[in-house]
Amino acid sequence: MNKLSLFATLLLTLPVFTLLNAQAPAPDQTWKLDQSTLTYHMSHPMHEVDGTSHAALGKGVCHAGQCDFLVAVEVKTFDSGDSNRDLHMIQTTRGAQFPIVQVRFRLAQSSLNSPTLDCDLEVQFAGNTAHYSHVIFQQTIQGTAHHITGVVPSTVKDFKIDPPSFLTIPIKNEIPVRVDMVWHPL
Amino acid sequence: MVAKAESSALPDAPLPAVAASAEIDSTETISSSSSFHTYLQNQPPSNGPSLSDLGLTAADTEGSAARQALMDRRTHMLKIHQRLGLITVIPVAAACISAAGAPPEKGNYSDTTSRDIHVALGATAVLMYAATASYAIRAPRVSHEPARGGVKWHKYLIYIHTPGMVLTPILGAMAYNQISSGQKVHGIASAHAGVAAATAASYGAAILAVSWPIHLKF
Repeated sequence: MNKLSLFATLLLTLPVFTLLNAQAPAPDQTWKLDQSTLTYHMSHPMHEVDGTSHAALGKGVCHAGQCDFLVAVEVKTFDSGDSNRDLHMIQTTRGAQFPIVQVRFRLAQSSLNSPTLDCDLEVQFAGNTAHYSHVIFQQTIQGTAHHITGVVPSTVKDFKIDPPSFLTIPIKNEIPVRVDMVWHPL
Repeated sequence: MVAKAESSALPDAPLPAVAASAEIDSTETISSSSSFHTYLQNQPPSNGPSLSDLGLTAADTEGSAARQALMDRRTHMLKIHQRLGLITVIPVAAACISAAGAPPEKGNYSDTTSRDIHVALGATAVLMYAATASYAIRAPRVSHEPARGGVKWHKYLIYIHTPGMVLTPILGAMAYNQISSGQKVHGIASAHAGVAAATAASYGAAILAVSWPIHLKF
């Protein structure tokens, strides 16, 4: 009789435990940005310029099923191949006063393995903050490496930057930033 | 499968040390990007990683208004340098063209009009060159790293056109005096045209160096 009641108790409580287990949040997790290539593209009727930085730092913290990510890069680390242009870029973007570009976004932890990530980005740059909604990043996963690529459709107006000009012609407003990053969970 | 990011509850990020609060309108929408808005953020993040979590120190993240002012001044002076440099092309080219009429024709040493015009244009070119150079020389230096790209060649060419801009008027004055005294141009003064041509060519090359590569796309 005792065995029967024990079996019945287990049978009744099993669905409860199963339900609780299904609602339990994913374990806390930390992500680290291992490699990065960020490239801005600047257009002018006489010049096409790409400036690249490999110096971005990034971290993600997952808690209660939500992951907050921060990517930061120093403005001065972007290299366009011309030191004078780079110094002018730093001046124009107020990089001496605001030396760090910060990008924050939040993702559901359950979505981190998706082939496509739809991100709402909050970008701090040149003393201003811009939001970019539904920026799509492609993701390929090899082992623990999450390789993410995409383009942030930034513009100089978004950050109240006076567009530099050459021969009185200003650069184009659009300055897309190509993103190529590899993240690893710790 | 598309994973939707959730950013509505994102924590506010810290402002750089010197906030541009005066120039940021917290309610203004200024971008052509439909999803963009600018606002003042003055709250530190309540959760999520911080810059210090990335290993960045306060020295890395704090900006300097004084350094920004220095860079602004540098850019302002170099813009004037660029503008004056381009304008100086006009008297340099005019002096080169007027050089054709500068030598005495068929032993006529008394008609000095063409020569005087050449002298005036040459002097204007040298004075404007000096003004142009002064803005580059007086612009504050903000980096001690070696120059890379076109500006490196722009600087190398200084070693040709600066001595040329000094020598050309000296040799020109010597040639002028020799012609005025009824002599044929001789000696080192005969190098005036050659030095002037090399100077003008290197000056043009210096302009091209900082404009290259040019991709015309209208």
